[in-house]
Amino acid sequence: MSETRFKALKDLPAQHLLLPGTPMCPGCGGLEVVKQVYDVLGENTVFVNAAGCLTLLATYPFTPFRGSWIYTAMASAPAGAQGIRDALDILIAKGRLPPAQNLDVVVLSGDGAAYGMGLGPTSAAIDRGLDFYYLCYDNEGYGNTGQQTSAATPAGARTATDHGPVGFAGEKKDLFSIWVAHHPPYVATITSADPVDLARKVETARGHAGPKLFIALAQCPTGWHYDPKDTVQMGRLAVATGIWPLKAYAGGRVTHTRRPKPKGERPPVEEYLRAQGRFDHLFSPTRNEEALARIQARVDAYWDAAE
Amino acid sequence: MFRVRFHGRGGQGVKTASRVLGTALFHAGFEVQDAPRYGAERRGAPIFAYVRADRQPIFERGVIVRPDLVVVVDDTLLTLPAAAVLQGIAPHTLLLVHSAQPAEALRAKLKAPGQLVTIAPREVAATGLQPQGAMMTVGAAARLLGVVPRQALESAAGEELAALPAKLRQRSLALTLDGFDGVEAPGGPVRELPAEPAEDYDRPRWIALPFEDARIASPTIYGAGTSMLSKTGLWRVQRPVIDRERCRRCVWVCGTYCPDNAIAADAGGYPVIDYDHCKGCMICLVNCPSHAIAAVVESQAREAAAAGDAP
Ligand SMILES: Cc1ncc(C[n+]2csc(CCOP(=O)(O)OP(=O)(O)O)c2C)c(N)n1
Ligand code: SF4
Ligand code: SF4
Ligand code: SF4
Ligand SMILES: [Mg+2]
Repeated sequence: MSETRFKALKDLPAQHLLLPGTPMCPGCGGLEVVKQVYDVLGENTVFVNAAGCLTLLATYPFTPFRGSWIYTAMASAPAGAQGIRDALDILIAKGRLPPAQNLDVVVLSGDGAAYGMGLGPTSAAIDRGLDFYYLCYDNEGYGNTGQQTSAATPAGARTATDHGPVGFAGEKKDLFSIWVAHHPPYVATITSADPVDLARKVETARGHAGPKLFIALAQCPTGWHYDPKDTVQMGRLAVATGIWPLKAYAGGRVTHTRRPKPKGERPPVEEYLRAQGRFDHLFSPTRNEEALARIQARVDAYWDAAE
Repeated sequence: MFRVRFHGRGGQGVKTASRVLGTALFHAGFEVQDAPRYGAERRGAPIFAYVRADRQPIFERGVIVRPDLVVVVDDTLLTLPAAAVLQGIAPHTLLLVHSAQPAEALRAKLKAPGQLVTIAPREVAATGLQPQGAMMTVGAAARLLGVVPRQALESAAGEELAALPAKLRQRSLALTLDGFDGVEAPGGPVRELPAEPAEDYDRPRWIALPFEDARIASPTIYGAGTSMLSKTGLWRVQRPVIDRERCRRCVWVCGTYCPDNAIAADAGGYPVIDYDHCKGCMICLVNCPSHAIAAVVESQAREAAAAGDAP
């Protein structure tokens, strides 16, 4: 990635493609991600949106996109992408669409869909080598329906369905590794709080044919219970504490594109958790030392293995 | 029949408040309809909810256009025409407003034809969405109806708030009862109008749409960027204002982090905020390295702009 045109924030596109006026919550991290990714992908894109918060982006008769967007059922976005890709290829082959007007097909999917009911269709699309981008905006719950627990909900988080004293008792699923196990050309995690890292990854993905998959942290003030102004800080904390590793898989290798400080020097995960109301019950009325230690140990173990 | 219309913003607990009132009326022996009304818009967007209550079955349906009681949880909506708070109010309509402004002054400003009662906010909340206001206001609303016993309100609030964490639940419950205890209507309780006979109903102004081929009838958007027509600036409770003296013209910072693409550079490289669409999240403010952005209370900024001052 040394020849990247994105070295600093200043190098990012100054004109933003995604237009305002969307029904997303103020401070929506998912919206921030889509805006930044769209800027690098460019106008020649067609979005295939699995049911979720971001399907409200294009609520008839309004759309913030400059080109096409289509709505699919929750699990069906990869199938939708296949259909559109095939149609474009056929039109080009028949000479009915000039190759210069070819479009990139981009799936937009929430974590509920990507980690859960859309996982099988995604797996099959990777197996078929479908030439598409897949952007999972991970707000760690079924946001659109009121933040119920999804397969991406992290340990300890309170959701609409896990609001007991321990919050969600399970662990977040490792979708990155599941995708990598398919050996697609490109998989990466991103956050809009590090727009340069994000832009470089999208730029790198553009050089690959076939499935290019992204998992973006999608800070969600509404479902995570923090002030919308802190969306970027929440992303930075996630990276600095090590709970959201920024990495990329290409050519058979996983590389960490940003590394938090070594154990003992990096901020404890607690700093990230304490900033969000969904983890309140881990701190009051009494500190849940056991849960906090377990969450920290998992993060430490991850980085120990990654070192 | 009592017809109560609630106005607030998404995220302020208006939906819960209307449910509490509906359930309290139900406990008090009424037949009840309660329904929040909102579209795809989220936090900060003007929304409304309504409650009908009668001692006999209710046949009236739909949005309340002639309310007996209008409950305004957020007084910044009063001057926002799009929120339609004053729609259909008549001399018998009581306006209950959660506001620190004196009732008489508000009444004169709004030219309200009937009684206007205020309930003062508990916290000094110059900014943000003030989600606690709804609970106090619904307590006051229950009292003003004159037919809801305190006990019915208390058990309704207990039921509707059951899923909240204990501390928040107790606080919300206490605020609800404070609202009930702390309000007075010098002009007497809310006056209900009788149910209208069906033959007096307004006919719905339906537009007949013939069945069309799917290519025509499906909701296909042919324009690009039509979201620009949606003025999400109305959701804002705080306005970011840029101080050009301090600004170092690094629009790639605020412009990149603004989720809503509401910041663009002008010809001189200075950031310009699109107030028609900025939702007031304040992400730009906290990420500006030069501290060149200030938060101004939106209602005050709007009043100042109307009076001709620069924001
Ligand atoms: C098959 C199916 N089940 C349930 C729903 C209802 N539904 C719509 S959006 C949504 C939440 C999706 O969660 P996620 O994919 O994480 O996206 P988010 O809402 O968080 O953006 C659900 C359950 C649906 N549309 N389709
Ligand atoms: S609920 Fe969360 S993800 Fe959904 S629009 Fe609101 S902030 Fe964005
Ligand atoms: S980030 Fe601050 S200093 Fe930089 S352009 Fe924006 S307002 Fe000006
Ligand atoms: S407050 Fe700032 S960051 Fe938020 S929408 Fe408005 S201009 Fe954008
Ligand atoms: Mg989700």
